[in-house]
Amino acid sequence: MEQALPDPERRLQPAPLEPLGHPDAGLESAVGEEAEGARDEGPGDGTMMENNFWLKKIEISVSEAEKRTGRNAMNMQETYTAYLIETRSVEHIDGQSVLTDSLWRRYSEFELLRNYLLVYYPHIVVPPLPEKRAEFVWHKLSADNMDPDFVERRRIGLENFLLRVASHPILCRDKIFYLFLTQEGNWKETVNETGFQLKADSRLKALNATFRVKNPDKRFTELKHYSDELQSVISHLLRVRARVADRLYGVYKVHGNYGRVFSEWSAIEKEMGDGLQSAGHHMDVYASSIDDILEDEEHYADQLKEYLFYAEALRAVCRKHELMQYDLEMAAQDLASKKQQCEELATGTVRTFSLKGMTTKLFGQETPEQREARIKVLEEQINEGEQQLKSKNQEGREFVKNAWADIERFKEQKNHDLKEALISYAVMQISMCKKGIQVWTNAKECFSKM
Amino acid sequence: MSGGPPKALPSTGPQSLRDMPHPLAGSSSEEAVGGDSTPSPDLLTARSFGDKDLILPNGGTPAGPASPASSSSLLNRLQLDDDIDGETRDLFVTVDDPKKHVCTMETYITYRITTKSTRVEFDLPEYSVRRRYQDFDWLRNKLEESQPTHLIPPLPEKFVVKGVVDRFSEEFVETRRKALDKFLKRITDHPVLSFNEHFNVFLTAKDLNAHKKQGMALLTRVGESVKHVTGGYKLRSRPLEFAAIGEYLDTFALKLGTIDRIAQRIIKEEIEYLVELREYGPVYSTWSALEGELAEPLEGVSACIGNCSTALEELTEDMTEDFLPVLREYILYSDSMKSVLKKRDQVQAEYEAKLEAVALRKEERPKVPADVEKCQDRMECFNADLKADMERWQNSKRQDFRQLLMGMADKNIQYYEKCLMAWESIIPLLQEKQEAK
Repeated sequence: MEQALPDPERRLQPAPLEPLGHPDAGLESAVGEEAEGARDEGPGDGTMMENNFWLKKIEISVSEAEKRTGRNAMNMQETYTAYLIETRSVEHIDGQSVLTDSLWRRYSEFELLRNYLLVYYPHIVVPPLPEKRAEFVWHKLSADNMDPDFVERRRIGLENFLLRVASHPILCRDKIFYLFLTQEGNWKETVNETGFQLKADSRLKALNATFRVKNPDKRFTELKHYSDELQSVISHLLRVRARVADRLYGVYKVHGNYGRVFSEWSAIEKEMGDGLQSAGHHMDVYASSIDDILEDEEHYADQLKEYLFYAEALRAVCRKHELMQYDLEMAAQDLASKKQQCEELATGTVRTFSLKGMTTKLFGQETPEQREARIKVLEEQINEGEQQLKSKNQEGREFVKNAWADIERFKEQKNHDLKEALISYAVMQISMCKKGIQVWTNAKECFSKM
Repeated sequence: MSGGPPKALPSTGPQSLRDMPHPLAGSSSEEAVGGDSTPSPDLLTARSFGDKDLILPNGGTPAGPASPASSSSLLNRLQLDDDIDGETRDLFVTVDDPKKHVCTMETYITYRITTKSTRVEFDLPEYSVRRRYQDFDWLRNKLEESQPTHLIPPLPEKFVVKGVVDRFSEEFVETRRKALDKFLKRITDHPVLSFNEHFNVFLTAKDLNAHKKQGMALLTRVGESVKHVTGGYKLRSRPLEFAAIGEYLDTFALKLGTIDRIAQRIIKEEIEYLVELREYGPVYSTWSALEGELAEPLEGVSACIGNCSTALEELTEDMTEDFLPVLREYILYSDSMKSVLKKRDQVQAEYEAKLEAVALRKEERPKVPADVEKCQDRMECFNADLKADMERWQNSKRQDFRQLLMGMADKNIQYYEKCLMAWESIIPLLQEKQEAK
């Protein structure tokens, strides 16, 4: 039986972070320098300021990606990408940032960190990692993990992940997280030493395993339903968006053919020639403009993807609640049955089936001493059971309280982030329309000179 | 109505041209002329030459010593100037009001042809008749026959090749109507074709079918002779200008064909893009139903995409209806022009052959025999007509394409403007609650 979840700030968690540096209140982790300017809506803009407990301002960035080859666990050659994580402390006095730590991590280490966080903070909606493999690609994008564009978007996604964790009021205090940023060698061993894998409940992995919970907290049931629906709708959206991008690409590119044919035609014309030729040039401009437009749109897609994966994290919290509730009900049931047994033994009435009762029937009554002994054992078990139930109940309540607090925090973050994403998407569309108007107006002028 | 020996048109009664009162004479029992345009001085002057002196390619007396070619081209030039000055225009033709006719044997569409003219060739100042496509086809064939030295404008395609297009759909009928209107207007603008009697009959006759059966015997002098030019003579050398025109038309038709293919491809891609958009927008709606604070923004985005989809649909429809048909017309035009060029080549070839034959028999006559002179006359007329028409064609081609391509640019601009408006209008909606917080 897995251990009950304690107050997240205490047991089972490696020692919390020592206060570092200045005894400043009001901490924040600012956006990393390498951010492509698309992180304005991210967690690093100080919205979480009042909740952070880092005593020192830090900046985290995943600044580079590098192809490496090495030997894996089975001593086979493999190629992978390593990412450079740089941490800077922003000294309060002069505002200069000083590089404090810099190390290389690969994707699998990020995964390890996240799995650890999932186990130790089951009541937290843990920020997701960028996708492992490229999904929702349209024909121009590559599904290859080594493709530079994919690597670049992943770098941004990893940076985003670290910023999310660093700005989370509770997660940011975790020591393993701290070590992830600061201790290159031996970090994996340190994580594994926490023994978190043992604590992970395999039942949670079985997404579809149902526990028949008699009294679930309705809010969690609704939330789980919501997270399922959210995952489904965002997946659908991403798939169709990819197809839309594909088609739009086709429309723009075919216009490029006008450029060539207008040029050829202008060669046989006298007065019409110049107008045609210059109009053709604008058609070329039009056709090539789509590349940048669609690249920008990929950022929007990435923002949606983050929340697609966040929905999974949300679901995990609901599942954890279900599991806890189930265990609680099982324990209560077990206790009730033991109490019943005890009572029957004491009064001599046999209502509940028990093996002992059967053997007694078959092989004759037990001696009073034997019965006393059994009653004593049961009473002990009942006592223990009652203690356990009490603490389980309390833990359950704590879990619900803490989880719900984080869920509220998450909801606000989600609403804020997605609204920002929609705004930036609208802005992208507006820019695309304006470019289109510009190009066609130029072409029209050329035609008018024909 | 211009022509050789005046021959009465059944529709106007057995009156000869000279007997018919001039509309402006005022003594006509019929409705007086609209009066808003008097025949231009130039035209009056031309008319006062009298039929004898008037050397028109489609009629008039046999050539005298004076070179016929220069006279006709002089006239052409005069009349070309007329056309440029809009106020001197004296013939207006419009095609409108399509109507469906359902008969036992067939169903077809007729169009109303309205003619307003102060020309003497027209008995009445105004006519309104109904014609169907096959009537236009008849007219064109007659023009080709009777005016072989001129470029006859093209008709819209008879049959629709592509896909399943409804012959009676509003869009198809409207597209055709515009093309037929253009066809008649091009003839109207032509200083020679507009006086053609078949054209007149087409515009005025109450019963065109009766006319078709009669078969107009009247052909232009040159037309008649060109008709009988036999092929089989080999051309020595094509004059540079006609060779250049031929080459030009070849390349021109090629490029237009390419543009047609590109335009079709673009429309196809746009339609496929539209299909995806129509699925994309509603997903935001579905999502909106799950959310609280995000519900309105998401719904707004969904509506916005819907508006863009509608705008795109309008763009593809416009391009299909307005852009492609005009392109195709010009391809047909250049095809028919090439046949006229071939015919010209034949006329020249015949002349050269006959001239050569005479040169070989030189001992007999000091001067060129009459039939060779006829050939030369024929050829020179043809060349002059063709040259004039080419110039005219180049001008209107330039106007037409300028308008067509500007129109294409306009449609795209309008599309983007509609989308821009849609997206700009939801920005405040998306930003709203944020400030409220």
